[in-house]
Amino acid sequence: MLPRTPALTRRAFSLLALGAAAWGSASLPALAAPAEVRITHSMTGGAQKEAFDAIVAAFEAAHPDIKIKQIVYDDDLYSDTGLITQLKSSSPPEIYFQWAGAPTQRDAREGFAMDLSEALGAEGWKDSFIAPAFSQQMGVLNDGKPYLVPITLDVTNVIWYNKQIFKEAGIAPPANWAELIDLTKKLAGKGETPFVIGNQELWPLGNWASHIASRVVPPADYEAAFRLEKPFNTPDFEKALNLVDEIRQAGGFNKDIAGLGADPAMSTFFQGAAAMHPIGSWLVSSATELAEKDFDYDEFNTPLIDPAHPLKDSVIGTLTGFAVSPKSQNPQQAITFLRFFTSPENQVKWAEAGSFSPVKGAMEKAKLDPKTKAMADLLNSAGSLVPPPDTTYPVEVAEAYYQAAAYVAGGEKSPKDALVWLDDRVKTMRK
Amino acid sequence: MTGGAVKISSSTGATGAIRAGATGLIFVAPALVLYAAFVLWPLASSVYYSMTDWDGISQARWIGFANFERAFADKIHLASYLHVTLYILGTLVFEVSFGLFMAVLLNSDRPGFALLRALFFSPVVLSMSAAGVLWTFVFDYRTGIINASLKAIGLTDWAQPWLSQPTTALLCVMLVSGWKFAGLYMILFFAALRRIPRHLYEAARLEGAGPVWSFCNITLPLLKQNILVAVLLAVTGGFAGFDLFFTMTNGQPYNSTEVPATWIMKQAFDNDQLGYGIALTVILTGVVCLISLIYLRYAERSHVVEY
Repeated sequence: MLPRTPALTRRAFSLLALGAAAWGSASLPALAAPAEVRITHSMTGGAQKEAFDAIVAAFEAAHPDIKIKQIVYDDDLYSDTGLITQLKSSSPPEIYFQWAGAPTQRDAREGFAMDLSEALGAEGWKDSFIAPAFSQQMGVLNDGKPYLVPITLDVTNVIWYNKQIFKEAGIAPPANWAELIDLTKKLAGKGETPFVIGNQELWPLGNWASHIASRVVPPADYEAAFRLEKPFNTPDFEKALNLVDEIRQAGGFNKDIAGLGADPAMSTFFQGAAAMHPIGSWLVSSATELAEKDFDYDEFNTPLIDPAHPLKDSVIGTLTGFAVSPKSQNPQQAITFLRFFTSPENQVKWAEAGSFSPVKGAMEKAKLDPKTKAMADLLNSAGSLVPPPDTTYPVEVAEAYYQAAAYVAGGEKSPKDALVWLDDRVKTMRK
Repeated sequence: MTGGAVKISSSTGATGAIRAGATGLIFVAPALVLYAAFVLWPLASSVYYSMTDWDGISQARWIGFANFERAFADKIHLASYLHVTLYILGTLVFEVSFGLFMAVLLNSDRPGFALLRALFFSPVVLSMSAAGVLWTFVFDYRTGIINASLKAIGLTDWAQPWLSQPTTALLCVMLVSGWKFAGLYMILFFAALRRIPRHLYEAARLEGAGPVWSFCNITLPLLKQNILVAVLLAVTGGFAGFDLFFTMTNGQPYNSTEVPATWIMKQAFDNDQLGYGIALTVILTGVVCLISLIYLRYAERSHVVEY
């Protein structure tokens, strides 16, 4: 039988316990769980994800009171349902990846994205970015207020070429459209496939075709057509599609253009089965994984079409960035992270991972591989930046234009017929 | 007195009936609640959202029947029904008919036939997406085995971009669908064939009937119910067809393999027009229900077998 504890000892234990409890509650703030900042995006792997993880780790080390949780989706899943589901939930993530343009402006209107005017205005944060990043044209603003912290500038279409094939054919990157058609004919005559495009999803050719149109059609008419305020069936749009048709007639496109996927088309280019491949700047990081080490390639922008056109030396591209959800639990901590992420030293790391940083000086200070450097130079030398229609205008209108371009490239319709079809198609979209 | 007795008796009966009804209602309530929550409510909300302009994020805006008007003016949407009809006709040939043919051919206990049946059935267990991706490689213009084989035997001109031509793409999807599902129908028909009494064939043979006569006059009539079920499965499955189209052609080339399901996906999610996509789904549901009802009515009427 256990001896009974004397009453005094019991009281002493009680006092000790009370004291311990009091000390514990006094020291609670020090032991409190760190605030969680959830970031949702579609970086599933590769150099960008590694750089992002490293910056997140550095942030957590510098801010032990904030914990970052990444919610990662595959690219298609993210844009189709992943982001919508999260934004509509009762506890949306603090930070989410978004494209500038129509998606950001919609989020701003619907209250999913926070007005970042105050945050960006503090301590010169906004001034740390290159000025064009916050121009109205780039789609970061809604009613003049910023709703996106820009992180990457993506060139969505340039013409990549196989240097070996060009050398063997004795050709050089073209200076104007006529030269492009000449070299296409020359390559086709040698039995080469001049261009390989995987247009099953329509945007690979559509993006290029819309860049061509933006260099031919007067900017106001181009904008008005995509906003369904004017018809597409005009001599200017017909001229733009005629240029696509010229490539087809020169034997420029791969026979399986309409059914080939974008990734297999890129692999075809890496295998040396085609001389040129029009696609975005992400080809550089794909080449690291998919192309042979001795695969030698370079790029040139869509050559000069009309010297009198105001966008004659434009580049087609878009900004992507991070938005902050005002309904999330820790929006202020989210801003703290974004300031850290867009600091010049972290943006240098971001740039070295293959991203085109919109932060001043990051691209200049970063040790870039020659291909990324060439893309940076292309952007720097561009007279203007044209955003792709599918992130700027109603997606269904952009898709319809892409389909019209696909008809022309496949020889299914003449440029005129394709535009008649296009106007008929968008007619059903008017409300 | 009598009237009063009847009245009391009637009142007791009514109360009893109500009590019995209430008891029954209590028993079916869980099922009713589940049915309402998972079938009726989603159905009603779908009908509601089909009459809105909604991108899935913004506030839905009521627009009445505008989405339906648009759907009936949308030529690609209308053409998708033509494509799916052609696809279903193809599945009737490549899946149901070929499955029946194989079932009759392999209806034997001889050694090796069980293995052949298993081999023929094996594609059924593959996922549709995996099958679609696999066959995309087979049909590939540059590296596909079909074009490589044609070139190897000197038929270079016959090599085609099979999935990039409107004239061949839909046929390719039908063939893959047939490869995938003919085995399933073979097993269904094989099980039914085993139940046909052998003496019918023996009697026919004694009367001098050949195998074709026996097939047409014994096998087919006795398999009528199974064929009707198989056709119903093929038709309803055809309307729901998505995976193969999505992985093999994504509705291309030039929308020639666009079927309702792929078009709905594109409108709802790629083009951020969830309201319009839901309206297309409501139309598809109506079409499938209508066809199923007509077909089942026909099947009920013709279930009596005469031979």
